[in-house]
Amino acid sequence: MTTAPSAANRAPAQTGRSILVRVLRCDGPGKPSRWEEFKVPVEKSANVISVLQYIAANPVTAQGQPTTPVVWDSGCLEEVCGACTMVINGKVRQSCSCLIDEYAPREGDVMTLEPMSKFPVIRDLWVDRSRMFHNLKRVKAWVPIDGTHNLGAGPREAPGNQEQRYVMSTCMACGCCLEACPQFTLEGDEKKWDEAFLGAHAINQARLFNAHETGKALARERLDQLAGPGGVNDCGNAQNCVKVCPKKIPLTESIAAMGRAVTVHGIKRFFGL
Amino acid sequence: MAPGFTGRFVSPNVPPQPGSRRSGRRKGLIVETSTSPKAAPSFFERNHLLLRRLHSLSGIVPIGVFLIAHLTTNSSLAWGKFGLRGQYPELGVQEGGVAYFQKEVTWISTQIPHLLLIEITLWGAILFHSVLGFMYARTGRSNTSSYGYGANWRYRLQRVSGYIGILFIFYHVATLRWGWTFLVPGGTKWDHHFSASTLASALRGGDNFTAAGVVVSAFYLIGITLLVFHFANGLWTAAITWGLTITAQAQRRWVYVCFALGAGLMAMGWSALIAAVMLNPAQARQVELKMQSKAGEAAAAITAPAASAKAGDPNRPSGQE
Ligand code: SF4
Ligand code: SF4
Ligand code: FES
Repeated sequence: MTTAPSAANRAPAQTGRSILVRVLRCDGPGKPSRWEEFKVPVEKSANVISVLQYIAANPVTAQGQPTTPVVWDSGCLEEVCGACTMVINGKVRQSCSCLIDEYAPREGDVMTLEPMSKFPVIRDLWVDRSRMFHNLKRVKAWVPIDGTHNLGAGPREAPGNQEQRYVMSTCMACGCCLEACPQFTLEGDEKKWDEAFLGAHAINQARLFNAHETGKALARERLDQLAGPGGVNDCGNAQNCVKVCPKKIPLTESIAAMGRAVTVHGIKRFFGL
Repeated sequence: MAPGFTGRFVSPNVPPQPGSRRSGRRKGLIVETSTSPKAAPSFFERNHLLLRRLHSLSGIVPIGVFLIAHLTTNSSLAWGKFGLRGQYPELGVQEGGVAYFQKEVTWISTQIPHLLLIEITLWGAILFHSVLGFMYARTGRSNTSSYGYGANWRYRLQRVSGYIGILFIFYHVATLRWGWTFLVPGGTKWDHHFSASTLASALRGGDNFTAAGVVVSAFYLIGITLLVFHFANGLWTAAITWGLTITAQAQRRWVYVCFALGAGLMAMGWSALIAAVMLNPAQARQVELKMQSKAGEAAAAITAPAASAKAGDPNRPSGQE
């Protein structure tokens, strides 16, 4: 079993092979999990989604037991929506862009598929990422333009500023950064979400909207949230988030930038400025 | 805070309008919104930022600053001969280390004003840093088995070194400062008139090595190593916490600085330990006695004869042999 594809790993994959796919299954929220194995014939350029489609069409385990089709979530199938995120061979990533030829190039190679562990499982590989959305609301990750009258044209954005913000804006809220973060843990109790760690994605979005000329209007409120329980101080600097982010967002720079903003904010607040 | 969005994830790019339909309850999906009133924020919640930042700061000032001074003093056991600048020319490297170290210790224990106050501040800071650190560490779950990146290992080690380091500090201070000799194999009580010899026998478990003494020395090696790592790595993360290093390049440059500082402190810590453990307590005691009689003579020459009685008790160390 390979944990991750590497360039050296790219020996031509065997054609006409079958692989063994181990799936961590769960029938519903709060139900126990169990492993099931499926033998799947692999076509050229197959990815995890096509393997799951095969299993859905042939829900029989490798031991010949009929079972229910495995449930998963997906949308864009081109690594821009983040819906298909799961833990593959122990590491989190998007399954639609995960090519079988890289992970299991030989006959009988094993791949494991697990749902993300930091979110409640809805069923099988499908998880509920509501908390990510909740956390975006905590940091008010939007531009305030609602009102009863026309606000006119917004302020000008400097091109350099736009450029810096662009990469931050590519976040698809997939959850990889949270799954890999040792400080972000599963919290089933929604009442505790307001005090639990925001996670790298929300900190990055706070930075994005604080850098936006109109979004700035809410900068103080965002910093209040980041300075409080579960805010940027709860980050432990393990820096896994930046390693696993499929969009290569400089998350640790965003965390440090927000750390600085919170430092200044805290000093100002202390002196009542 | 608006009631939590309860449906499946939609998209972060569509701003939720506070109070609009979309922030309401969705049917058929898992989590239900709770509108129960929140408990009043606790002391820790109200002062979250202040406590977090004091925790970070206390690791540098006073604890880190003290660590640097402490290791510098203690490593003089190894390099002290070269710091004597011609005083006691008859002494070898080891004995010179003893003499210099004794001079330093005498200076600290007699010349620094409000020493106890400084010590209490330090103990308080260490207590504060470790209690809060323990609380914060409980909020995370290490995952180096899945994500074995360097920084992730340092994250894990930072916590482990905190746990073991505080046990070491407690043992170190309790035995050598508070005189809890029942925890010292051989029962040596550290004495600032016989600083090197009593230190050596406390580490060795007596004048000669004992098995228990080897365990104590090994614990010192582990404790010193972990604490120096904890400080150097903490200095690295503090720069991110406070927002001094933002870009990846700046963070990398700062790693080099922290690594160099850590390597220097590690060298001092290890050399101090090795020098102390290699020391023959009986031999060290001779040097210390010689220094005391010299100091006694000098004092007697300058002031009234009564001063010589104050120069310590040259007859025997209070350690047990
Ligand atoms: S920051 Fe990166 S890893 Fe995190 S949710 Fe956004 S795209 Fe995914
Ligand atoms: S740097 Fe912070 S947010 Fe990123 S993985 Fe580490 S603890 Fe989590
Ligand atoms: S389906 Fe959209 S990222 Fe995979």
